[in-house]
Amino acid sequence: MAILLLLTLAGYAVGLLLPLCVPSRPRLQNTLAHGLAGFAGVAGICLGTIGLFAGEPFTTSVPSTLPLLTFAIRLDPLASFFLLTISSVGLAASVYALGYVTEFYGRVPISLLGSLFNGFLLSMTLVVIADNGFFFLLVWELMSLFSYFLVVTEHEKSDVRYAGLFYLIMTHVGTAFIVLTFLLLFQGSGSFSFEGFRRPDQAFSDGMRTMAFLTALIGFGTKAGIVPLHVWLPYAHPAAPSHISALMSGVMIKTAIYGLIRVYFDFFGGHFPWWWGFVVLALGAVSALLGVMYALMEHDLKSLLAYHSVENIGIILLGIGAGMIFHSYGLEQLAALGLIAGLYHTLNHAIFKALLFFGAGSLLYATHTRNMEEYGGLLRRMPWTGAFFLIGAVSIAALPPTNGFISEWLIFQSLFLSYEMPSLLMKLMLPIAAAMLALTGVLALTCFAKAFGISFLALPRSSHAKHAEEVPWPMRIGMAFLAASCIALGLAPMLAVPMMDRVTASMIGTSIADRMVALGGWALAPVNVEFSSLSSPVLGFVLAATAALGLALVALYSGTRPYRYGKTWACGLNLTPRMEYSATGFVQPIKRVFSTIYQPTVKLETEFLEESRYFAKRRRFEFHIEPVFQKYLYDPVITFMSGLADRLRIVQAGSLHLYLAYMFVTLVLLLLVAL
Amino acid sequence: MIAGQSIFQAIVLTLAQAIVLIALSPAIVGLIRKVKARFQCRRGAAIFQPYADLRKLFCKQPVVSTTTSWIFTATPYIVFASTMTAGLLVPVFASQMPLNFAGNIIAFVYLLALGTFFLILAGLDAGSPFGGMGSSRESIVASLTEPAMIMAIFAIALTAGSTNLSTIVHRTALLEGIVTDPASHVMALAALFIVALAETGRVPVDNPATHLELTMIHEAMVLEYSGRYLALVEWASGIKLLVFLTLIANVFVPWGIATSVTPAALSIGLTVYVAKVAGLAVLIGTIECMFAKLRLFRITDLLGVAFILALLGLLFFYILRG
Amino acid sequence: MSWLTPHVATQIVDFSSAMLLLTCFAIVAQRRLSACVDLFALQSLFLAMTAALVAFLTGSRHIYIAAALTVVVKVIVIPRVLKGVIERLNVTRELVMKINVPASLLICGALVMIAFFITQPIIPFGHLLTRDSLAIALAIVLIGFFTMISRQKAVTQLIAFLVMENGLFLGATAATYGMPLIVELGVFFDVLVAALIAGIYTNRLQDAFDSVDTVHLSELKE
Repeated sequence: MAILLLLTLAGYAVGLLLPLCVPSRPRLQNTLAHGLAGFAGVAGICLGTIGLFAGEPFTTSVPSTLPLLTFAIRLDPLASFFLLTISSVGLAASVYALGYVTEFYGRVPISLLGSLFNGFLLSMTLVVIADNGFFFLLVWELMSLFSYFLVVTEHEKSDVRYAGLFYLIMTHVGTAFIVLTFLLLFQGSGSFSFEGFRRPDQAFSDGMRTMAFLTALIGFGTKAGIVPLHVWLPYAHPAAPSHISALMSGVMIKTAIYGLIRVYFDFFGGHFPWWWGFVVLALGAVSALLGVMYALMEHDLKSLLAYHSVENIGIILLGIGAGMIFHSYGLEQLAALGLIAGLYHTLNHAIFKALLFFGAGSLLYATHTRNMEEYGGLLRRMPWTGAFFLIGAVSIAALPPTNGFISEWLIFQSLFLSYEMPSLLMKLMLPIAAAMLALTGVLALTCFAKAFGISFLALPRSSHAKHAEEVPWPMRIGMAFLAASCIALGLAPMLAVPMMDRVTASMIGTSIADRMVALGGWALAPVNVEFSSLSSPVLGFVLAATAALGLALVALYSGTRPYRYGKTWACGLNLTPRMEYSATGFVQPIKRVFSTIYQPTVKLETEFLEESRYFAKRRRFEFHIEPVFQKYLYDPVITFMSGLADRLRIVQAGSLHLYLAYMFVTLVLLLLVAL
Repeated sequence: MIAGQSIFQAIVLTLAQAIVLIALSPAIVGLIRKVKARFQCRRGAAIFQPYADLRKLFCKQPVVSTTTSWIFTATPYIVFASTMTAGLLVPVFASQMPLNFAGNIIAFVYLLALGTFFLILAGLDAGSPFGGMGSSRESIVASLTEPAMIMAIFAIALTAGSTNLSTIVHRTALLEGIVTDPASHVMALAALFIVALAETGRVPVDNPATHLELTMIHEAMVLEYSGRYLALVEWASGIKLLVFLTLIANVFVPWGIATSVTPAALSIGLTVYVAKVAGLAVLIGTIECMFAKLRLFRITDLLGVAFILALLGLLFFYILRG
Repeated sequence: MSWLTPHVATQIVDFSSAMLLLTCFAIVAQRRLSACVDLFALQSLFLAMTAALVAFLTGSRHIYIAAALTVVVKVIVIPRVLKGVIERLNVTRELVMKINVPASLLICGALVMIAFFITQPIIPFGHLLTRDSLAIALAIVLIGFFTMISRQKAVTQLIAFLVMENGLFLGATAATYGMPLIVELGVFFDVLVAALIAGIYTNRLQDAFDSVDTVHLSELKE
């Protein structure tokens, strides 16, 4: 195992440094950087798999000259699971990037892009295997910095710079809260190592525990994108290059989930009151619902995907929150189920979100625009991209037989098993959360029907789309790998569940894998077969069989006569792209029905012909959604801070004598105090 | 697998259920149309007219628009497959279906959603404004029915202690379920009935007989289909209607269903099933004549009622037991 | 009627309480005033059925009289009066709602939950009517009150008031097997007079403002 670890880290490290040494040969830099990252990714996958099933966690550490800081590494099942996720998506991203960064040749130094990519993956890998608080913070900060530089790759555009700055500020706010959390844990244990955090030598007071809970939630929540701390996501993800957005959205925000599980289940030893889990659950439900609602209104494909990340983080938190609630009531097996559901969705979301971002990147590569209203008819010109995007869309809409369905099914099961709980309030709140999850699921289905339908179907709406070409083969292979994983995880969840069960066994101490995989390995049956069971391969088989039955019916009655072509009826006119439904029009009923949440403002201006007021020469339609969080939460905070800063400005009068006077007064006071 | 059933029996039972669903659904659609016609003081077409319609459609050559892609021609098969698979999860004339272990009510709901997803895509594919309009309206109706459906079915599942449909029906049939928890069952039944009307596109949510752009939802999505594709889509929507009626009939009033796999029990089960479903079809026909179709943005009121009723059903269950 | 064991009777009473709540929600979700009146009549019918069943099983005669009065006054007379008012004033719909239907349904659902939580510690002292009926009665009162606040047409406010009274009657029957007969009679006459007065006042409102929107009443102050 040590060798694999060394290979992984060395692969990324060499990939970080080597491209910088090769001068001005973009193709070589590209191949070097991404090839090394791919190699390290493969090593990481092997390492993660071994670490999951190993008996003992693997530890190693390198002391440093600074006190409190040791470069300690520990590979327990939780870390291995996240390592596996990071490496798989990293591998796919490396293959994809081989083709994608050709778009940046000449505009952006590829050596920098490649080396920063490796650095990003290296820091993320180190985050999940770090075993020392200081070390964790160090690599967390490195991760944020690398991702910032990657976000501002195209820094000549002002909106990209703005997005990068916003992201930098928000992530540092989060990091500050994480520092607070670790300081509180340090208070209780006296050392910065995670081992020390696990065994505090004096009992934590309740107040301190609550503080630690809240600071961890805010700190990791900022990185994860929980409402209301999610506002940086829709700016940062579209600004970054697509393979970076895929990594950020698929993997980086999951490191925050890793942090939450580590702090709550590992450090606190799972001893927490019920309301912690309830807060997590409530935040998850609200994030899920608001995330998908704002996603529906977006017509920039990458912003839409960014908002969906917010939604899926909410769903993951639903599973984890349910697990926390069950754990605090002592229902260990249900807690394990909730945690497994949350972890499964983490893996699934990483895979299909990366796939969707790759698809969006391919569309951007082919058409040079991100605006969905300019796409159309791309399924015929880009059949592979379309097919892979369709698989990603079906997965994120949680439809059988894909992996998204399995994890949402598991989350529903854990929410439905609430009837065993003693508290009436919880017994009612969890099904209400399930209803919100159902609403989220179907709105996500609508959103992706819109995204796929408007982008790939019907006629092209602009000349960009009319001349789009299929993307190079590395990009297709990257997408194919992820699409195959989606289907595989969907049809064979019984193979994946034991993996996650190892994680929950180490966290909570309960292993339910043998109870969950029932009927000789064909079905998933949380709790028992009588209550609920799901056999994904059988469902897939029945779907195929009934489709064949339909074909048989057709053959029986009519024989498969070839069809003939005709034109779509457009009320007697020739069909033009202007007659098709646009993305904005598609979601108009939803905007009206949920207008209390959106608070839309609509403006319609018409310019009439001079000759007659009955004919319009030009119309302009604008509609805006109220940016609730920015207006009511962030703007007041920013205004307050600016006001405070303004008032403190008096101290900086600009006069040299005043500054010397400050120094003199401070010196005198210090001397007096030292007396 | 159910104990005591061999693989061969299981396959035969599943196939028999599939055949019943396929064969009976056009008759149910025809029965509803006949009831509506009688209310409108017309004779109406024969109950078996839809079979003739389907036969005619199969024999015609389909016309496919030049704007469409492979999604358009694949969707009828996908919709048919997903509706049939969902139908095979619900017990029809025997309460212990072999495929019980393959999926529970969540799987049922999401299988139907798979069909809806592809229909929405097919509506957008032809590039006509009618299709887009149908897809857009269908998405809002589907968004509002799903939470209500999940809550209603969950409330029922709790009474039987399981979320697998066969287990619910089997236990209720042996236990006289409806008498022990009338309040929660009444609420759940009302909610599920409204949801069934919404999902199958019946008045007051959608008018299945109209082709006016102002009023159609489901019909708009399938407007461009013809020939064997239209036949499959129509058949699939008939099967969906039959499956919802089966769900309501067998979960709330399951007595008469065959609880053991003997020829006598099965034939009684089949006859009782046909009678129950026919009765529900007459009820739906009557309701379609009593109410006018709601405006699109008033459908939220109706489906909000369904959601609240389902929530109340759940609440009553907990209060009674707790 | 040997099949009418206490167990079965409890089930039937539970069922009609549920139907009462169902009609309550239907009234909240309705915009058409004539439909509201019909639903109110249906609700009163279920209420009479419940009361009659209670009377049969406990042998208290006076509840029979109360049930009969319910049928006469609330199922026949008051709906007639209200329908007359609606027809005369030609007001058929509640057009403007301050709180839209889905939101008011959610609030009513929350009110039902509050009612259940409040009645949780109360132990019913009779095996016939469960704690359910008391909770439902309280819920109906709360929903009626809420509807009175959130609607604008005078006719709907009156129907909401009558629904509150229905809830009170159910609560009285559930908790104490009915009130003394003289109190029941008094309440009934009060309700009847209230309905008649409301009819007159709605007419006056129409004459004064050419609309039955009670928002206009605030124009009366100078």
